[in-house]
Amino acid sequence: MASFRRPYPEPDRDTAPFWEAQNQQELRFQRCTQCQTVRYPVGPLCPQCRSFETEWITSSGRGTIYSYTVVRHQTHPAFPAPYTVLLVEMEEGPRIIAQLRAPEDAAVAIGMPVTIDWEEGELQTLPVFYPPPGG
Amino acid sequence: MTIRNKAAIAGIGQTEFSKDSGRSTLHMALEAVLAALDDAGLRPEDVDGVVKMAANNDIAEIDLLRSLNLPNLRYFSEIPHGGGAACGTIAGAVSAVVSGMADVVVTFRSLNERSERRFGQSSVGGGIGGSQAYHIPHGFVTPAQWVAIFGQRYLYEYGHTTKAFGLVSVLCRKHAATNPHAMMYERPVTMEEHQASRWITEPLRLLDCCLDTDGACAAIVVSAERAKTLPCAPAYIAAAAQGTGSRQQMMTSYQRENIARLEEAESTGKELYRTAELEPKDIDVAEIYDHFTPMVLMALEAYGFAAPGKAPDLFRAGRVELDGGLPLNTHGGHLGEGYLHGFGHIVEGVRQVRGTAANQATRARTVLVTSGTGVPTSGIILSKEPY
Repeated sequence: MASFRRPYPEPDRDTAPFWEAQNQQELRFQRCTQCQTVRYPVGPLCPQCRSFETEWITSSGRGTIYSYTVVRHQTHPAFPAPYTVLLVEMEEGPRIIAQLRAPEDAAVAIGMPVTIDWEEGELQTLPVFYPPPGG
Repeated sequence: MTIRNKAAIAGIGQTEFSKDSGRSTLHMALEAVLAALDDAGLRPEDVDGVVKMAANNDIAEIDLLRSLNLPNLRYFSEIPHGGGAACGTIAGAVSAVVSGMADVVVTFRSLNERSERRFGQSSVGGGIGGSQAYHIPHGFVTPAQWVAIFGQRYLYEYGHTTKAFGLVSVLCRKHAATNPHAMMYERPVTMEEHQASRWITEPLRLLDCCLDTDGACAAIVVSAERAKTLPCAPAYIAAAAQGTGSRQQMMTSYQRENIARLEEAESTGKELYRTAELEPKDIDVAEIYDHFTPMVLMALEAYGFAAPGKAPDLFRAGRVELDGGLPLNTHGGHLGEGYLHGFGHIVEGVRQVRGTAANQATRARTVLVTSGTGVPTSGIILSKEPY
């Protein structure tokens, strides 16, 4: 049970820079250099203006909880319940999925500000989020 | 050019629904298909088309062809995106029949979802590609968890409590309790039991989640002209449509402006009503895909039966009861009858139009049947008469 390996992202030709940045503890998004639209998930084309021209920006790591679920019933051997999965709306706009790191009885609510941190895995470092100190 | 009432479902078939079928999905699919052909007064030799759900990846159309010794399939295709595909198979069959590319098209769903691979359990390991790469490595692995994110936001946007979800659960179990085919026959639940059931993934409790079921269903689509010559009263297909929404993903379209709405169901509904030349008020019975209770509320709103956030009022006012004007999930749905990935809803829709359902609505001239939401979806409107 404990030895079951966590699944990890499999980079492809579009997403490799995104996952490599996470291994350097950076959350990156693409930004269209034509219309400046930030896009997520990663893709080759700007859905707004359909330009292939893109650059990578680094997220501030700050966001607010847009929605969440407290997983009570364990469904996967690598993820012991309970744990809380957040959908965090980042300051740059995209909403990303990551786990909350907080005491089990800590308050969690939509609209709550959270800050990114990083947890190293065997093959991939992934983001987690903390509530503000003293909050 | 319209497809309105140019094709019909002429036969339906199903196996028993259980926790352990004791046989293969192909075995059950063949039972359901043969039953549906028999119901339609057709022989296997008449079949020249198969449209299947891609989710049934353990059964190929050639497995049916070989098993039934079909002479030739002129038309075969499959519809992607899990339970969103159920009515999509009917839409594909209608395309084939109306265009003349096939005469008799088989559609089906067969699964040992309880005794073999349970969708609520995951042991996926190794490298994850595609859009799931952003989710699975975070322990965000099951449909219940993916839907919980939508459900939580729905409660927040409209100020509801989880009792709003309980309304759906109680209604479906009430209808299942009087449907002898249902896994939850004679087993209704109360709101108190809903609220006391254990958390699966907040805000979803056990009673917000569909059943795990072994079973199979099938439906036979032919032209309206052909259907008139067959023994069963035709369930005319007044409309059939598929639909998507903005920034569409598989169960995780979280980049949309408002995730408390089901855009893919809204687009499907618009297309259905346009094709059928009907409005929501013209629908007599609604069989709405119920994998998880929040999605039923959001679907009722998307298909135009309630304003955003107001679907719970349909339950509180009794509108969705058998005699309430818009009877909902008359068979008990996935929450009460069994989880056949949307195909049980199609079969029940046909029974309602024929007037042969266990819980027969007094008025069932038009029935809306919808498929899985949170994914690219589909729907049909069945009609008693070819207006």
